[in-house]
Amino acid sequence: MTKRRASALAATLAGLMVAGAAHAEGDPQKGRYAAQTCLGCHGIPDQANVYPTYKVPKLGGQHSEYIVSALEAYRSGARPHPTMQAQARALTEQEIQDIAAYFASIDQSR
Amino acid sequence: MQRISVFFATAALMLLATLNTAHAAGDPAAGREKSQTCAACHGEKGNTQNSMYPKLAGQHPSYLYQTLKSYKSGERENAIMAGQVAGLSDEDMRDLAAYYGSLEGDLHTLPLGQQRAIIRRQRGSGCPPPAAHATD
Repeated sequence: MTKRRASALAATLAGLMVAGAAHAEGDPQKGRYAAQTCLGCHGIPDQANVYPTYKVPKLGGQHSEYIVSALEAYRSGARPHPTMQAQARALTEQEIQDIAAYFASIDQSR
Repeated sequence: MQRISVFFATAALMLLATLNTAHAAGDPAAGREKSQTCAACHGEKGNTQNSMYPKLAGQHPSYLYQTLKSYKSGERENAIMAGQVAGLSDEDMRDLAAYYGSLEGDLHTLPLGQQRAIIRRQRGSGCPPPAAHATD
Protein backbone atom coordinates (compact mmCIF):
# COMPACT_ATOMS: atom_id res chain seq x y z
CA MET A 1 0.00 0.00 0.00
CA THR A 2 1.42 3.37 -0.93
CA LYS A 3 1.75 6.09 1.63
CA ARG A 4 -0.87 8.17 -0.16
CA ARG A 5 -3.36 5.34 -0.17
CA ALA A 6 -2.78 4.67 3.49
CA SER A 7 -3.40 8.27 4.39
CA ALA A 8 -6.54 8.34 2.25
CA LEU A 9 -7.78 5.27 4.07
CA ALA A 10 -6.98 6.82 7.43
CA ALA A 11 -8.83 9.99 6.46
CA THR A 12 -11.87 7.95 5.37
CA LEU A 13 -11.89 6.03 8.62
CA ALA A 14 -11.56 9.22 10.64
CA GLY A 15 -14.43 10.71 8.65
CA LEU A 16 -16.60 7.70 9.36
CA MET A 17 -15.86 7.94 13.06
CA VAL A 18 -16.81 11.60 13.13
CA ALA A 19 -20.01 10.86 11.23
CA GLY A 20 -20.83 8.10 13.71
CA ALA A 21 -20.28 10.39 16.67
CA ALA A 22 -22.39 13.15 15.12
CA HIS A 23 -25.25 10.68 14.77
CA ALA A 24 -25.08 10.21 18.57
CA GLU A 25 -26.21 6.70 19.30
CA GLY A 26 -28.58 6.50 22.22
CA ASP A 27 -27.79 4.45 25.30
CA PRO A 28 -30.65 2.04 26.12
CA GLN A 29 -29.52 1.68 29.73
CA LYS A 30 -29.72 5.43 30.31
CA GLY A 31 -32.94 5.47 28.33
CA ARG A 32 -34.52 3.06 30.77
CA TYR A 33 -34.18 5.63 33.52
CA ALA A 34 -35.10 8.61 31.39
CA ALA A 35 -38.22 6.79 30.19
CA GLN A 36 -39.84 6.44 33.60
CA THR A 37 -42.28 9.26 32.99
CA CYS A 38 -43.35 7.70 29.69
CA LEU A 39 -44.60 4.62 31.51
CA GLY A 40 -47.42 6.55 33.15
CA CYS A 41 -49.23 6.21 29.84
CA HIS A 42 -47.18 3.99 27.53
CA GLY A 43 -46.63 1.33 30.18
CA ILE A 44 -50.31 0.70 30.85
CA PRO A 45 -51.92 -1.79 28.46
CA ASP A 46 -54.87 -0.23 26.63
CA GLN A 47 -54.40 3.14 28.31
CA ALA A 48 -56.69 5.62 26.61
CA ASN A 49 -56.05 9.16 25.46
CA VAL A 50 -59.16 11.30 25.87
CA TYR A 51 -60.55 14.12 23.71
CA PRO A 52 -60.25 12.51 21.29
CA THR A 53 -60.44 8.98 22.64
CA TYR A 54 -57.96 6.45 21.32
CA LYS A 55 -55.47 4.08 22.84
CA VAL A 56 -52.00 5.48 23.44
CA PRO A 57 -49.54 3.87 21.03
CA LYS A 58 -47.44 0.85 21.85
CA LEU A 59 -43.80 1.95 21.78
CA GLY A 60 -41.91 -1.17 22.83
CA GLY A 61 -40.06 -2.56 19.82
CA GLN A 62 -40.60 0.57 17.73
CA HIS A 63 -37.72 1.88 15.56
CA SER A 64 -35.44 4.32 17.38
CA GLU A 65 -35.04 6.68 14.44
CA TYR A 66 -38.80 7.07 14.22
CA ILE A 67 -39.12 7.69 17.98
CA VAL A 68 -36.45 10.39 17.74
CA SER A 69 -38.28 12.11 14.89
CA ALA A 70 -41.58 11.90 16.76
CA LEU A 71 -40.14 13.42 19.95
CA GLU A 72 -38.38 16.14 17.96
CA ALA A 73 -41.62 16.98 16.18
CA TYR A 74 -43.44 17.23 19.52
CA ARG A 75 -40.65 19.40 20.88
CA SER A 76 -40.76 21.81 17.95
CA GLY A 77 -44.55 21.89 18.04
CA ALA A 78 -44.83 20.45 14.52
CA ARG A 79 -46.73 17.49 15.92
CA PRO A 80 -49.67 18.43 18.10
CA HIS A 81 -50.40 16.90 21.50
CA PRO A 82 -50.12 19.13 24.54
CA THR A 83 -48.95 16.42 26.95
CA MET A 84 -46.37 15.01 24.56
CA GLN A 85 -45.13 18.49 23.65
CA ALA A 86 -44.58 19.26 27.34
CA GLN A 87 -42.79 15.95 27.84
CA ALA A 88 -40.56 16.37 24.81
CA ARG A 89 -39.63 19.95 25.67
CA ALA A 90 -38.29 18.78 29.02
CA LEU A 91 -35.89 16.36 27.31
CA THR A 92 -32.36 17.00 26.11
CA GLU A 93 -31.26 15.78 22.68
CA GLN A 94 -29.25 13.03 24.36
CA GLU A 95 -32.22 11.91 26.48
CA ILE A 96 -34.34 11.67 23.34
CA GLN A 97 -31.69 9.45 21.74
CA ASP A 98 -31.42 7.32 24.89
CA ILE A 99 -35.17 6.86 25.27
CA ALA A 100 -35.52 5.93 21.60
CA ALA A 101 -32.70 3.40 21.93
CA TYR A 102 -34.39 1.92 24.99
CA PHE A 103 -37.80 1.57 23.31
CA ALA A 104 -36.20 -0.08 20.28
CA SER A 105 -34.12 -2.43 22.41
CA ILE A 106 -36.89 -4.06 24.40
CA ASP A 107 -38.72 -7.01 22.98
CA GLN A 108 -41.78 -8.91 24.02
CA SER A 109 -39.96 -11.97 25.27
CA ARG A 110 -38.18 -10.07 28.02
CA MET B 1 -97.99 -10.94 20.31
CA GLN B 2 -96.38 -8.24 22.41
CA ARG B 3 -93.69 -10.65 23.55
CA ILE B 4 -92.88 -11.49 19.94
CA SER B 5 -92.51 -7.86 18.91
CA VAL B 6 -90.29 -7.18 21.90
CA PHE B 7 -88.18 -10.12 20.80
CA PHE B 8 -87.89 -8.79 17.25
CA ALA B 9 -87.14 -5.29 18.44
CA THR B 10 -84.37 -6.61 20.66
CA ALA B 11 -82.96 -8.76 17.87
CA ALA B 12 -83.05 -5.80 15.48
CA LEU B 13 -81.27 -3.57 17.97
CA MET B 14 -78.59 -6.18 18.60
CA LEU B 15 -78.05 -6.57 14.89
CA LEU B 16 -77.75 -2.83 14.45
CA ALA B 17 -75.31 -2.63 17.33
CA THR B 18 -73.17 -5.33 15.73
CA LEU B 19 -73.22 -3.60 12.35
CA ASN B 20 -72.33 -0.31 13.97
CA THR B 21 -69.40 -1.84 15.84
CA ALA B 22 -68.19 -3.53 12.70
CA HIS B 23 -68.22 -0.23 10.91
CA ALA B 24 -66.44 1.60 13.72
CA ALA B 25 -63.81 -1.09 14.02
CA GLY B 26 -63.05 -1.30 10.31
CA ASP B 27 -62.62 -4.39 8.19
CA PRO B 28 -59.11 -5.91 8.27
CA ALA B 29 -59.64 -7.83 5.02
CA ALA B 30 -60.69 -4.66 3.21
CA GLY B 31 -57.78 -2.84 4.82
CA ARG B 32 -55.37 -5.41 3.46
CA GLU B 33 -56.60 -4.71 -0.06
CA LYS B 34 -56.00 -1.01 0.46
CA SER B 35 -52.57 -1.37 2.05
CA GLN B 36 -50.47 -1.90 -1.09
CA THR B 37 -49.05 1.61 -1.12
CA CYS B 38 -48.38 1.65 2.63
CA ALA B 39 -46.15 -1.42 2.32
CA ALA B 40 -43.53 0.54 0.37
CA CYS B 41 -42.45 2.30 3.55
CA HIS B 42 -44.10 0.42 6.42
CA GLY B 43 -43.10 -3.04 5.22
CA GLU B 44 -44.90 -5.99 3.74
CA LYS B 45 -46.88 -6.75 6.88
CA GLY B 46 -46.34 -3.50 8.75
CA ASN B 47 -43.00 -4.63 10.13
CA THR B 48 -40.67 -2.34 8.23
CA GLN B 49 -36.95 -2.76 8.76
CA ASN B 50 -36.36 0.86 7.74
CA SER B 51 -35.78 2.68 11.02
CA MET B 52 -37.07 5.98 9.62
CA TYR B 53 -40.61 4.67 9.43
CA PRO B 54 -42.79 3.38 12.25
CA LYS B 55 -43.72 -0.27 12.49
CA LEU B 56 -47.49 -0.57 12.33
CA ALA B 57 -48.12 -4.28 12.89
CA GLY B 58 -49.97 -4.85 16.14
CA GLN B 59 -50.39 -1.15 16.88
CA HIS B 60 -53.72 -0.10 18.43
CA PRO B 61 -56.24 0.44 15.59
CA SER B 62 -57.75 3.44 17.37
CA TYR B 63 -54.33 5.13 17.44
CA LEU B 64 -53.66 4.33 13.77
CA TYR B 65 -57.06 5.66 12.78
CA GLN B 66 -56.51 8.82 14.83
CA THR B 67 -53.11 9.29 13.20
CA LEU B 68 -54.49 8.93 9.67
CA LYS B 69 -57.25 11.40 10.49
CA SER B 70 -54.80 13.96 11.82
CA TYR B 71 -52.69 13.66 8.66
CA LYS B 72 -55.82 14.18 6.61
CA SER B 73 -56.93 17.23 8.57
CA GLY B 74 -53.41 18.68 8.34
CA GLU B 75 -53.14 18.77 12.12
CA ARG B 76 -50.14 16.49 11.85
CA GLU B 77 -47.80 17.55 9.08
CA ASN B 78 -45.85 15.15 6.93
CA ALA B 79 -45.32 15.60 3.22
CA ILE B 80 -45.44 11.89 2.42
CA MET B 81 -48.38 10.98 4.62
CA ALA B 82 -50.41 14.02 3.60
CA GLY B 83 -50.26 12.81 0.01
CA GLN B 84 -51.12 9.26 0.98
CA VAL B 85 -54.22 10.05 3.02
CA ALA B 86 -55.61 12.65 0.62
CA GLY B 87 -57.56 10.03 -1.31
CA LEU B 88 -58.67 7.96 1.68
CA SER B 89 -62.25 7.93 2.95
CA ASP B 90 -63.13 7.57 6.61
CA GLU B 91 -63.95 3.93 5.96
CA ASP B 92 -60.61 3.37 4.21
CA MET B 93 -58.79 4.74 7.26
CA ARG B 94 -60.77 2.53 9.63
CA ASP B 95 -60.09 -0.51 7.45
CA LEU B 96 -56.36 0.19 7.24
CA ALA B 97 -56.19 0.75 11.00
CA ALA B 98 -58.02 -2.54 11.59
CA TYR B 99 -55.72 -4.39 9.18
CA TYR B 100 -52.44 -3.19 10.68
CA GLY B 101 -53.77 -3.64 14.19
CA SER B 102 -54.62 -7.25 13.41
CA LEU B 103 -51.09 -8.17 12.29
CA GLU B 104 -48.46 -9.84 14.42
CA GLY B 105 -45.50 -7.63 15.14
CA ASP B 106 -42.79 -6.45 17.48
CA LEU B 107 -44.82 -3.68 19.06
CA HIS B 108 -45.97 -3.94 22.63
CA THR B 109 -46.77 -1.82 25.66
CA LEU B 110 -43.68 -0.79 27.59
CA PRO B 111 -42.83 -3.22 30.39
CA LEU B 112 -43.93 -1.68 33.65
CA GLY B 113 -42.78 -4.54 35.88
CA GLN B 114 -39.18 -4.14 34.83
CA GLN B 115 -39.34 -0.45 35.55
CA ARG B 116 -40.78 -0.99 39.01
CA ALA B 117 -37.76 -3.10 39.81
CA ILE B 118 -35.47 -0.28 38.70
CA ILE B 119 -37.30 2.22 40.85
CA ARG B 120 -37.09 -0.14 43.83
CA ARG B 121 -33.37 -0.55 43.27
CA GLN B 122 -32.88 3.21 43.14
CA ARG B 123 -34.80 3.69 46.37
CA GLY B 124 -32.88 0.88 47.97
CA SER B 125 -29.54 2.43 47.08
CA GLY B 126 -30.52 5.66 48.80
CA CYS B 127 -29.94 7.57 45.58
CA PRO B 128 -32.68 9.95 44.52
CA PRO B 129 -34.31 8.99 41.24
CA PRO B 130 -33.17 10.97 38.19
CA ALA B 131 -34.86 14.34 37.80
CA ALA B 132 -38.49 13.77 36.90
CA HIS B 133 -39.33 15.46 33.64
CA ALA B 134 -42.94 15.95 34.60
CA THR B 135 -42.00 18.57 37.18
CA ASP B 136 -39.78 20.55 34.83
